[in-house]
Amino acid sequence: MGRKKSSAASGLAALSILCVVSIALFTVYVKEGDCAKEQVSCGPLHTVQLGAAEVLQPARSVFASLFEPLQRASESVQGALDNGREHRLERQLRDSQALAAESSRLERENAHLRELLKGQRSTYEYGPLARVVAPVGDQFTQRIAINVGTEDGVEPNMPVVIGENTLVGRTTEVSKHTAQVMLITDQMFAAGVRIIPPAKFDPASGELSPAVSAENVSYGQGLLETNLEGYFGVDLVSLSARAEEGDYVVTSGRAGDKELLFPPGLYVGKVESVSSQDIEQFKKIVVDPAMSPQDLEAVRVVVDWAGREG
Amino acid sequence: MEQASVVRAAIVVAIAALLDAVVVPYLTFGFFSPRLTLIAVVFAVAPLRDLQAVLLGFFGGILLDALGSDLFGVGALGGLFAAMLASRASAVRRRGSERVLLAQVAGLAVAGYDLLGYTARWLAGLAVPQLGEYAVGGVLPDALINALLAFLVGGWLLGVVNVKAPNGWEK
Repeated sequence: MGRKKSSAASGLAALSILCVVSIALFTVYVKEGDCAKEQVSCGPLHTVQLGAAEVLQPARSVFASLFEPLQRASESVQGALDNGREHRLERQLRDSQALAAESSRLERENAHLRELLKGQRSTYEYGPLARVVAPVGDQFTQRIAINVGTEDGVEPNMPVVIGENTLVGRTTEVSKHTAQVMLITDQMFAAGVRIIPPAKFDPASGELSPAVSAENVSYGQGLLETNLEGYFGVDLVSLSARAEEGDYVVTSGRAGDKELLFPPGLYVGKVESVSSQDIEQFKKIVVDPAMSPQDLEAVRVVVDWAGREG
Repeated sequence: MEQASVVRAAIVVAIAALLDAVVVPYLTFGFFSPRLTLIAVVFAVAPLRDLQAVLLGFFGGILLDALGSDLFGVGALGGLFAAMLASRASAVRRRGSERVLLAQVAGLAVAGYDLLGYTARWLAGLAVPQLGEYAVGGVLPDALINALLAFLVGGWLLGVVNVKAPNGWEK
């Protein structure tokens, strides 16, 4: 039997008022803009979220360690569900590549740690080693939280790397002790990149061949982003530009006389496939990212680099 | 005889919002993600009066917005929508079938929340997938799985929110 509801009218009035308040909050939030872009203090609603992130950081760290085995198990289950010989071979190949990459990464990390003992790498100035606290965001975003913030010299829109130069993403909202990182696979992420042949780039050291910076050489240049169709790739690459499967994708750093957000030479990944049709203006380039969001544990923010303006 | 405790309901919603911010990011697979706050709102406000239900729905939604990193206001609207649906459903429920009915309401609330989020992202100029693709591959499974989840935890939630009123001779 229904209960008597004496507050039905007041409930409806409250519902209407609170709906308007919610819409007003949404409008204010959007109008506040992205703290990352404004470079000034955030608006009150963004500040509330940043404060909450700061307060929740210890709890998130605890759950991060609790969920690690679960995430590994989920990856294994996902792997087990992939049937077919081809899938199995692909998986084995990926595992081998991952092992090789891990071995190479450890080697690099070892060298890097030795270098750290002597002093930082001259071209980039890194923030302190940051631990990945937790994934954040919703079904439309790919972001993580790290445990460094403004007190460590981190600001919004700074590149985040693993190892020395493998690009992971960029910082967005930064509080005193935490920062959010938008991963390169997030649909809102974009970066100016160039596509260079393997002979011209060493992903371990990030060294670019001098020929790459020569003005008369036409390597493919474009915009790295995750397309709405879901593939991660480079857009706006001219049909006449050179781009082949297996080429390296690195940040370009500059577009004409304009400095871009990232320093040149940050390694993004390898070209997985290149296709083009006559009716299209640009090539369709799919990239296999060098970083894997599930494997991120410790990252580093590049706080400054040689040749940076301002 | 049972009566609902507003304080207990508020605590349930607050804990759910906290879990939503801390635990749920690890349980998000593609477009599916457990909407613990919405489920808690639906079950917590169902036995309450209209005004209490609306205020608690808004409270839960605001907490969801403040503790998360998504567009502010979407959670508040979603919470209000869930509270309104639960409040309407509670007017027609039959004793014994509350859990099934409220699980369906939770599914509907999740679908509404997903569509609100989609619209808000679109209005804010952020990237969104094709609506048809998202409705079939995102909203529908999200609503169904959350309805199932709501059915599984609903009985317990109702038990937490409802307290036994003392009989006349016990007063």
